[in-house]
Amino acid sequence: MAAASNLAHVAMGDSTDVALAAGGDRQAFERLYQTHANRVFSLCARMSGSRTQGEELTQDVFVRTWEKLPQFRGESAFSTWLHRLAVNVVLNARKSEGKQASRMDEGDVDDERWDQAARAPMYVERMDLAQAISGLPAGARKVFVLHDVEGYKHEEIAEMMGITSGGSKAQLHRARLLLREALER
Amino acid sequence: MTSSNMTCEAFDTALPDYLEGTLDDSRRASAERHLSECVRCASLLRDIENISKEAAAMPDLAPSRDLWQGIEARIAAPVIPFAARPERKRRFAPAWMGVAAAALIVSTAGITYMLAAHSLRLTPGSAVAQATSIKNEPRTNTGTDSGVTPGSTTPAPVDVAVPGTQPGATSRVVIGDAPTRQRGIPARLASQSTADREHSDLVYGKEIQMLQNIVSQRRAQLDSSTVAIIERNLQIIDAAIAQSRAALARDPASHMLDQQLTHALDKKVELLRTAAMLPAST
Repeated sequence: MAAASNLAHVAMGDSTDVALAAGGDRQAFERLYQTHANRVFSLCARMSGSRTQGEELTQDVFVRTWEKLPQFRGESAFSTWLHRLAVNVVLNARKSEGKQASRMDEGDVDDERWDQAARAPMYVERMDLAQAISGLPAGARKVFVLHDVEGYKHEEIAEMMGITSGGSKAQLHRARLLLREALER
Repeated sequence: MTSSNMTCEAFDTALPDYLEGTLDDSRRASAERHLSECVRCASLLRDIENISKEAAAMPDLAPSRDLWQGIEARIAAPVIPFAARPERKRRFAPAWMGVAAAALIVSTAGITYMLAAHSLRLTPGSAVAQATSIKNEPRTNTGTDSGVTPGSTTPAPVDVAVPGTQPGATSRVVIGDAPTRQRGIPARLASQSTADREHSDLVYGKEIQMLQNIVSQRRAQLDSSTVAIIERNLQIIDAAIAQSRAALARDPASHMLDQQLTHALDKKVELLRTAAMLPAST
């Protein structure tokens, strides 16, 4: 009950601040940032596999949000819209990183990279799930984060990543098996 | 292990669909029978289900530093009080548009300055050389469209090639003592004094300096080819600004030259702001 009340409060606060920020009010936008920064950062850091890169991407997301806010029509919750925008920023950033990233986007799992990451000395002790996720190959990691952590459906992931729904399922399964392998060590 | 007509290998293949709940009834029943008899596959299923549950329950992370300052610096769009621009509606322009815009500034600044100087020589006392479209504008000049007709007090229009349009496309400009046309030119600029110009230079200077600082700080985050394009465009725009300033120094009363300078400064601010807001690694 308290949680529902908090959510309603956040949503109501959001709608006012969204309207103000869309009109250029930076203080309102800062409040939106404070409310959503951790969630956006979590997504960015987990999808990119790096906290440092996650911080840069989080800044990109909020700059992009500032630009796009006047186009927000309130057809979905602001948090949903922001989250989708964050996913797009992360995916587009990865695409611009070049051939390796784009190859993995298409579903080509980089086993060598996985082996290096998963068997690095820092993982001699039983690693936790967050560490294991960060060591996944990029394509598998993105699908796993979007599906198992963020709750997107395969059809949505396929559309966002420009792959097939079957490709998304295959990447997810691959990620889960790799995570199990890493966590068993 | 083989049990209930399903091998472990077959179970592995069926596992993604089993987890998604998309197996047909007979295969699902077969997989469940296999699971009830096979420790290895039951353990695999349990582990994967646990990983998914744990992933869904992972708490939010917090950044290790304050990210707001960096965001605020990038979204800060200092207000230029005398410019009414639909700033928030602007979109990122591709690099080639920046080049085209800068080329347009250079060409128009140069052409208009030359034409203005020429006009002033032909019509002493004419303080204003106004470049504007003459569509549907009456004029007394009956000469050719290729230049100023000697002896005419109203100069003929001149066709000027416009970069970025179809081959052969031209824009018609007229200079000299044509009636004052303020279309597209804010009235505040038409009456801008030297003091106003100094004030606007100060405002532009501050904004440009601030944006240049941001771009310098973000330089390492941007792709080197993007940085090179930005710098090349800035050089072109700076040349246009210098040209406009030099022309304005010779003819301080020219509204048109003043407008050209303002336009070039606007372009510089726009380019720097775009660069300041570019996502990393672009």
